[in-house]
Amino acid sequence: MSNYFGDLAQSVIAGRQEQVKELTRQALDAGTGPVEIINQGLIAGMNVVGARFKVGQMFVPEVLMSARAMNGGMELVKPLLVGQELPSAGKVVLGTVKGDLHDIGKNLVGMMLESAGFTVVNLGVDAGPEKFLQAIKEHKPGVIGMSALLTTTMLSMKDTIEVLKEEGLRNKVKVIVGGAPISQDFAEEIGADGFAPDAASATDLCKKLLA
Amino acid sequence: MTRSQYVRANYQVNATPQFHVLSEHQCEDIYYGALEALERTGAEVHSQTALRIFREGGCRVDGNRVRFPARLVERAVRSTPSRVVISDREGHRSMFLEGNNVYYGPGPTNTYTLDPFTGERRRPKKSDTVRAGIVCDALPNIAYAMDNGTPMDVTPTLADVHAFQALVENTVKPIIHWGFGIEQYQDIVDMAAAVTGSLEELQRNPFIILYSESSPPLRHSEEAIDKAIFAAKTDIPVIYTPCTFSGGVAPATMAGSLVISVADFLVGLVAGQLVREGASFIMGGLISTMDMSSSILSYGATELSLLSAGLTDVARYMKIPMFSTGGCTDSKVIDVQMGIEAAFSILIAGLSGANVVHDCNYMEYGATGSLELMVMDDEIIGMVKKILKGIEVDDEHLAVDVIDAVGPGGHFLGEMHTMAHFRDFWAPTLINRLRYDGWKAEGSKTMGQRVREKTQNIINTHEPERLPKDVLHRIQEVVDRAEAREAAKKISK
Repeated sequence: MSNYFGDLAQSVIAGRQEQVKELTRQALDAGTGPVEIINQGLIAGMNVVGARFKVGQMFVPEVLMSARAMNGGMELVKPLLVGQELPSAGKVVLGTVKGDLHDIGKNLVGMMLESAGFTVVNLGVDAGPEKFLQAIKEHKPGVIGMSALLTTTMLSMKDTIEVLKEEGLRNKVKVIVGGAPISQDFAEEIGADGFAPDAASATDLCKKLLA
Repeated sequence: MTRSQYVRANYQVNATPQFHVLSEHQCEDIYYGALEALERTGAEVHSQTALRIFREGGCRVDGNRVRFPARLVERAVRSTPSRVVISDREGHRSMFLEGNNVYYGPGPTNTYTLDPFTGERRRPKKSDTVRAGIVCDALPNIAYAMDNGTPMDVTPTLADVHAFQALVENTVKPIIHWGFGIEQYQDIVDMAAAVTGSLEELQRNPFIILYSESSPPLRHSEEAIDKAIFAAKTDIPVIYTPCTFSGGVAPATMAGSLVISVADFLVGLVAGQLVREGASFIMGGLISTMDMSSSILSYGATELSLLSAGLTDVARYMKIPMFSTGGCTDSKVIDVQMGIEAAFSILIAGLSGANVVHDCNYMEYGATGSLELMVMDDEIIGMVKKILKGIEVDDEHLAVDVIDAVGPGGHFLGEMHTMAHFRDFWAPTLINRLRYDGWKAEGSKTMGQRVREKTQNIINTHEPERLPKDVLHRIQEVVDRAEAREAAKKISK
């Protein structure tokens, strides 16, 4: 049985989605519990990926492939989790702010968060305060993350925070911000809870904020 | 001269060094790849104005997706002038963007500035844009001005307008300038027309080039494409520059990245040419790799130089002036990495023959603008210009008579021939070639220290030509009008 976990983790690390699915099926057929498959196989593999990425032994496209491979396995296991607690590190709503179409960095953050076990709700681009507000009401995330590339659109981050205050939701959710023109100072100035300069540290930041 | 009389056949001259990354056939392949992508995949366009222009112009429009028949794109390429001449603020025609003429200068919109007095990395202010104007004005190898950072101590949605005011009041050199949207573009054109006396004079002899960036792959925001349309309508030259990074928003292969870059430029070009056949467009431009560890768009990557030179070859094939990149770095401080990356990219951009080479001030993957880097680049550009001039070969330069006159074991120091030619050597202004004791006597300064001193000295002492009072007044009126407009918007919100 332990072999499944080792092979599963290796397949996640290698980014082989089909292999991950096949091994997940085999493990399930053999009666392995879904939570064990997730924790000891899929997440265990992603943990290695995360560590290797940090020290420069793996690169962004490889992390993306691993995350996709892991999600392939997750999709098979998730329906079987009925009644059991989904081992999520937390829920994060992400969006590129109003007036801005730049979403590559934000999508990278989403990918890194998912691979670290977070549940991510991606609002896409051009997301104004109302869209974030609605998503918070609907999904009840622990964190919302706003992204901007332009010095004009980054100002809309503050509008969203103000709207959250007006609606009495500001204390119910952590707000993080990122993007090329954003800095720690700016985050503090607009009353955000955190800033991350890149996708990997965004994951650490969410873990810290939700700890 | 002692040569006998002769005529020569089939004699070839390299007036300059020869450098090409792509052959004509390879350029053709890239161009056809772009045409195929535009016809088959098309582009997503987020502007109603542009969608209407494309539909009426004969493109296939399906929602936001626009597919471009090759004949339309080819007609746009053919109707684009192969040369654009830009004047300085005084109306002297000074930048001939044609053939392989190369002009260097800085880049815009950095979100930080490296203060040349304190060494601090901080948010740019309008007074920093004033400094940028002064330093661009003073440096002999910087051909035009760009802003070196978005000023953040002004109304945020008018940072572009304020930056233009700061530049135009502090340099006579041509200005390449960006804007958030077409309202600000109008403000900028109005300020420029205040300088030339009228819009007609500005159109006849433009001293500004507008600048618009699109976001590949094949996606054009309302602001980006509307600015290209505005420039064509207003008959002011524009640079349409997709920001392409290999592996991120373009294929990880260099040829594929060139296809995306050309295709995305062509989207803006077609819009512009449909609005005004013969509108002046310059092909951008920013193309490099995404660093797969840090996910930055690398400004120091060797691929930036290689890709930019390749794109320049394609621009020449298309007979459209080229806006390229060089003199930039991923380094965060004034250091050796900065020197290596800046020198490499300036040389390759020069050899490639790109007409406008921008970003000779970009540090930290473009996040920080540095006047010190621009001052150091000015020196490197001087060196590269010398290389680009090549080696002259004729009787005077072969100097066989002088060799004979001096004879074996002699020296050439006392020859009139030497007097006539030794000043052709490139003479450094920052590079240090003193003997050890001389260098020590001058304070044992590093390159970084000399660069900083020169930068400070320029800012403290250089006096740019001032604009007449009435022109300054009219420029201020445009800024005030823009401020009133933005204030009204805020209230109506």
